[in-house]
Amino acid sequence: MKLLRLFAAGFGRSAQATLTYRINLVFDLVLSIIGLFASLATVFIVYSRTDSLAGWTEAETYVLIGTFQLLSSLKNAFIDPNLSWFPENGIRKGKLDTFLLQPAPTLFLASLSRSTPLSLIQFVLGLAVIAFGLSNYGRLPTPTAILAWMLTLVAGLLVTWGMGVLLACLAFWAPRLQLDVFYGSAWELARCPTDIYRRPLRLVLTYVFPLTLIATIPTTTLLNGPRLLVLAPSVIGAAIACLLAIGCWRAGLRRYTGATS
Amino acid sequence: MTMPAASYRRPAFRPRRLLQMISLRTRMEVLEWSGTWWFLLTLVVQAVLGPLIGMFVWSAVYPADPYVATYYVALLLVTVMTESFEQFTFSEKIYDGTISHDLLRPQPVIVNTIGTNIAIRTWLTIMGVPVALLTGIAFGISLTWTAILAALPVFVLGATLNFCWIFMLSLTAFWTERVHSIVGFGWTLNSLLGGTIAPLVFLPERLRDIGQILPFYGMLGLPADVVAGRVHGLEPLLTGLGYQAVWITVFSTAAVLLWRAGIRRYTVVGA
Repeated sequence: MKLLRLFAAGFGRSAQATLTYRINLVFDLVLSIIGLFASLATVFIVYSRTDSLAGWTEAETYVLIGTFQLLSSLKNAFIDPNLSWFPENGIRKGKLDTFLLQPAPTLFLASLSRSTPLSLIQFVLGLAVIAFGLSNYGRLPTPTAILAWMLTLVAGLLVTWGMGVLLACLAFWAPRLQLDVFYGSAWELARCPTDIYRRPLRLVLTYVFPLTLIATIPTTTLLNGPRLLVLAPSVIGAAIACLLAIGCWRAGLRRYTGATS
Repeated sequence: MTMPAASYRRPAFRPRRLLQMISLRTRMEVLEWSGTWWFLLTLVVQAVLGPLIGMFVWSAVYPADPYVATYYVALLLVTVMTESFEQFTFSEKIYDGTISHDLLRPQPVIVNTIGTNIAIRTWLTIMGVPVALLTGIAFGISLTWTAILAALPVFVLGATLNFCWIFMLSLTAFWTERVHSIVGFGWTLNSLLGGTIAPLVFLPERLRDIGQILPFYGMLGLPADVVAGRVHGLEPLLTGLGYQAVWITVFSTAAVLLWRAGIRRYTVVGA
């Protein structure tokens, strides 16, 4: 509860600061819309040439793009602003020392205390794209499918957070190693159905670097209904990612000696 | 002491000297950037991702068409070799005021910008070629030397066009703090109509007609199409070169006008 209040306070402060710069708000809104239209145009162009992309119809792909937008916006709003600067500022410049002295869990402060509320514009646009995709799909999902979809989204978000923390933790051992750009680039692979990738890459994206959980699994769950064989591994995968992240963070903290003292 | 306006003479334009200055600056920048290989690697990864995703998508649509893989491997190489980052290397100098140092030197400000651009492209090429080779081997593509040689002039003009476009957008830093968003918008247009999201030939007819007129195809898709053999023969090549030259003229003129207007507006603490 205390963490939720802290999180809400941090978000409120960021929102207040963001809304002060209205021109920036307009810029980001316009850019989000343009970016989304570019994604939709891609789908339109592909399906002007074919009826099915690796077994995915046009309406299904719209739902996938919308779902990808949802998780991307949450990543951009809550995870990236914290973890992308961590190796340089947190470890190399010693900003982590400040967090260690504050009366709140260090992992929370380092990974979730800052946010960029403007990125949530993508969230609203993503919901609109999902609604558009579902209206073209011709069949509304059942309440169970919607619940399962939300569960897979939460699992996807937890895996995203866990992987972000794991990559940031590497800085405890190799301070000059900054892998968040690679993570951001690999993230873009989730924009398409993972079925289009060739077998070795598809297996990597499913089991090693589970980007399939970002959009492909939630979308199939929403459209085709929940399947225990998909839901259970998703939840277990999310739990493992979180536990690994917490364990790695603790191990890293034990190793950390400070840069400012 | 200030020089009387009547005695001031504009320095004569000497192309050879300009080329020498650019060459020296490039050498210096190549050495400076050599220590940032990790950062350069992240730039390469970001650059190759778009063409790779495009290749996977279109290979799923046309699994038996060898053009798709050849085109995208060529595009991957062209993208890596022509990347421009003037929103960082130039606009940031306007934001933090360090462009004043360049303004005080007895050389055009653009010399440093071009030098940095060529140096970064050199490093990206060195790191990007192995990625292109591996992708080419994985997808079993074959290129002909005649197609590669024919693509050289189109590639050089494409690289120049890309630089002019990004530099022109970066000049908006004189008026707004959102230059990265503006360049991001330019990048989206480039992906959509330049041939990254889909080769121009796969676009719906109306969009293809628009794409052939706008400059973006000349930056990426045209050189890749020449390498892939889709555009061949003297006449299409000359038409392509002419179309690139026209857009280079348009963007250079616009950049000069923006520079003149922007530099009048520029003020900095301590200047």
